[in-house]
Amino acid sequence: MSAVAGTFAVSCTREPATGAVALQRERQLNRFLADVERRALRIAEISVRDRDEALDLVQEAMIKLVRRYAARPEPEWAPLFYRILQNGIRDWHRRQSVRNRIMVWFGKSASDADGYDVAAHAPDPAGRSPDEELQTAEAMRKLEIAVGGLPTRQREAFMLRTFEGLDVAGTALAMGCSQGTVKTHYSRAVHSLREQLGDHWQ
Amino acid sequence: MNETENDKRFVRKAKSLFDDSVEHLDAATLSRLTRSRHRALEELERAGHRWPRAFWIPATGIAAAMLVALLVLRVPLDTSPPIDQPLARDFDMLLEEDSLEMFEELEFYSWLELADAQPDDHVG
Repeated sequence: MSAVAGTFAVSCTREPATGAVALQRERQLNRFLADVERRALRIAEISVRDRDEALDLVQEAMIKLVRRYAARPEPEWAPLFYRILQNGIRDWHRRQSVRNRIMVWFGKSASDADGYDVAAHAPDPAGRSPDEELQTAEAMRKLEIAVGGLPTRQREAFMLRTFEGLDVAGTALAMGCSQGTVKTHYSRAVHSLREQLGDHWQ
Repeated sequence: MNETENDKRFVRKAKSLFDDSVEHLDAATLSRLTRSRHRALEELERAGHRWPRAFWIPATGIAAAMLVALLVLRVPLDTSPPIDQPLARDFDMLLEEDSLEMFEELEFYSWLELADAQPDDHVG
């Protein structure tokens, strides 16, 4: 990813999408989306704590990427895709916030997301002993809760850098901020998570 | 801000756990992701049938300019309807105060008009 960092600057080049070029572009997009979709889903799921909502957000991000940026050079797709996804997640949180205020006004439960059972969505690793499975699931559950509790920008920086593997330049493009800001958020996120989870977690 | 060895170890473990959870997503979820991907790729085909946005902006501008030019050339500057002068004169006459007097002698005026229309040699 670092090798293409220089190309993340806004590119205005567009290629003619006709015939063989269009077919090749479709194959490239299919390969890219297939590669990224599962990690994107888990990242969205950790952010919104709801798998169905996360699936909707990922689909929306896929559609927007294809509709708007299919003609962009392939190395730009990952940061652009995650930028769309992160914007979608932020919008989702804003809508939830408004919805929760209205529900509180009418005297109902503040959020259905409170009932989200992280353990029920925990991985089911095959080929391990039940103890190992339990330990892995428990470690991931704690990590999800801790990451989900980070401030928004720290959570984004941590997940894009650690889970998706974007470099600093790609993360900056995805978050719409400077590389220095990414480094700050990421560093704070790592220290905060280490503090919360403790050394025994490792 | 430098990453310590403990930070790196922590990040490696977090990444490993995350990758593990990605690898073990259930079949129903994977199926939905595949459908979402195909749905997104359909947009490529749709986009191929649409005119590019870059076309519409100048095309709309040119069409608007042509419409304005057409209107300016075709419609005369004085757009007020032509006034029927005799009718207007009659109307003024009706509004005058002595118009009722005219109605009382309508027969006389009709005869006068006929007499004016006939050649002089028929009179008398």
